[in-house]
Amino acid sequence: MSEELRPAWSSQFAASALRELIAMGPLGGIDREWAWGGSTGQGVRVAIVDSGIEADHPAVGGQWCGGVIVSYDGRTRTKVRIAEDDEKCDLFGHGTACAGIIHSLAPRAELYSARVLGRDLTGRAMQFAGGLRWAIENGMQVINLSLSTSREEYYGLFHELADQAYFKNVMLVSAANNLPGASYPSLYSSVVSVAAHEGHDPHTYYYNPAPPVEFGAPGIDVQVAWQNGTTMLTTGNSFAAPHMAGIIALIRAKHPQLTPFQVKTVLFSCAANTQPEPQA
Amino acid sequence: MSKGTRASQEESLAAELRLLVRSVEASSRAFFPDSGDELLQTIVEAAARLFGAAASSIALLDEAKGTLQFRVATGAGAAEVVGMSIPVGQGIAGYVVMTGQPLAVSSVDQDPRFARETARKTGYVPRSILAMPLLYGERPIGVIEVLDKIEAASFGMQDMELLGIFARQAAVAIRASLHRQHLAQALLSGLQRLLGEEGGAEESALKQVLDEADKDAEGAAQILALADIFSDLSRAGPAERRACVQILTAFAEYARSRPRLVG
Repeated sequence: MSEELRPAWSSQFAASALRELIAMGPLGGIDREWAWGGSTGQGVRVAIVDSGIEADHPAVGGQWCGGVIVSYDGRTRTKVRIAEDDEKCDLFGHGTACAGIIHSLAPRAELYSARVLGRDLTGRAMQFAGGLRWAIENGMQVINLSLSTSREEYYGLFHELADQAYFKNVMLVSAANNLPGASYPSLYSSVVSVAAHEGHDPHTYYYNPAPPVEFGAPGIDVQVAWQNGTTMLTTGNSFAAPHMAGIIALIRAKHPQLTPFQVKTVLFSCAANTQPEPQA
Repeated sequence: MSKGTRASQEESLAAELRLLVRSVEASSRAFFPDSGDELLQTIVEAAARLFGAAASSIALLDEAKGTLQFRVATGAGAAEVVGMSIPVGQGIAGYVVMTGQPLAVSSVDQDPRFARETARKTGYVPRSILAMPLLYGERPIGVIEVLDKIEAASFGMQDMELLGIFARQAAVAIRASLHRQHLAQALLSGLQRLLGEEGGAEESALKQVLDEADKDAEGAAQILALADIFSDLSRAGPAERRACVQILTAFAEYARSRPRLVG
């Protein structure tokens, strides 16, 4: 593909634009083997805030461990009502796609669904915020957000939630907007913001030293799980984010003491475009 | 008052009403570019050709009903799909309008339920779909889709970027045509109220115009001031009207040619 036709959101991760980075001093000693070698994501709780997860989809491997349905309720203070997810289904297929990618990388991670997309459009941003809050307050260690809002009036609300997650030792992984323009929470510095690159190796990701989009992971023509037990080929930043969420689940299982900024440092050191500092 | 006089008064009021509504339609065309389904149709036709797609369509959101209605289409299944309504809580188009994010998928025909449902409704099952939200500011108002890339298995990310540009154009056209509809409906409702007929159904149209006016109060006030001037001039005589058209034409040309001011 010619460079001129490459969309802005993935231009940082084009082969010609990728910058070779140096992991200074002891950071150069952090490699993939140390970071996640031998890890299966065992015991790490990963929430997928999306359209639900089809619990019995083969790609989810029986790792659906629970979930909630978040619906809009203008009468409550938080504007949402949260109920146990006894339907265990996915209204669109998108959440199952994300869950399947995470499961393929971290097969023993526990998957939880916060279904925030409903059957109508009322209060979408509040449902999204409600699902994110539920995940932060219910012991999740990694939260995949292949959703975002571009509505300015919610900038503050999502910023507060992103801070709350950071202080509670929860890692938010957020897909960058597929269209030109801002979207939240992918633009906050505490989150792991992800755009798509063209590669297909699920463990190969890149670091971008000129954020806001910090990481590039596979998101183009990715084979994913979809509704009704099927699979599809899809393209979008939505599918790059769960690749990072899966790798983070592996790291958190192996090194539970690492905090979000330490995990980000490990991710930087293990990026495909980062090399250890040459020895003198 | 005799029954006959009252009936003839009502008839003449009704005739005046129809005239007024038509004149609103006509004058609003002066303020908003002509942008009905014809423009949308050219957009889907251009999209289908540019992306090398077998079909393309635009569906508009009806937020109150929670549905997406297909307004224009071209290519395979077009005749069947136009006029069709689908709930927003399902499918690729539903996801896109719900999240405001585009989605490119292929091998969709492998989902037997999807294939069966789609084939039943349109007689045509696409293999690949690229769906892009139509946004009014940050609010989704519909979806443009291109179906079945002819020379490739799927739509790529450059298709996604380009379709985003088409979507912006379509959204502007839809927005202008909605303004016009709301304005005519609001006037009708106001006149009905003057006549003592409560126009319950039109209330929402009036509210929408007022809401739009609230969002851009200065712009709305300027447009109304302009309408007042037009109204004065229309009574002034043919020579004055001709002069006015010449002056406005010259100004429009000047406005088009000068650099745009930001903000």
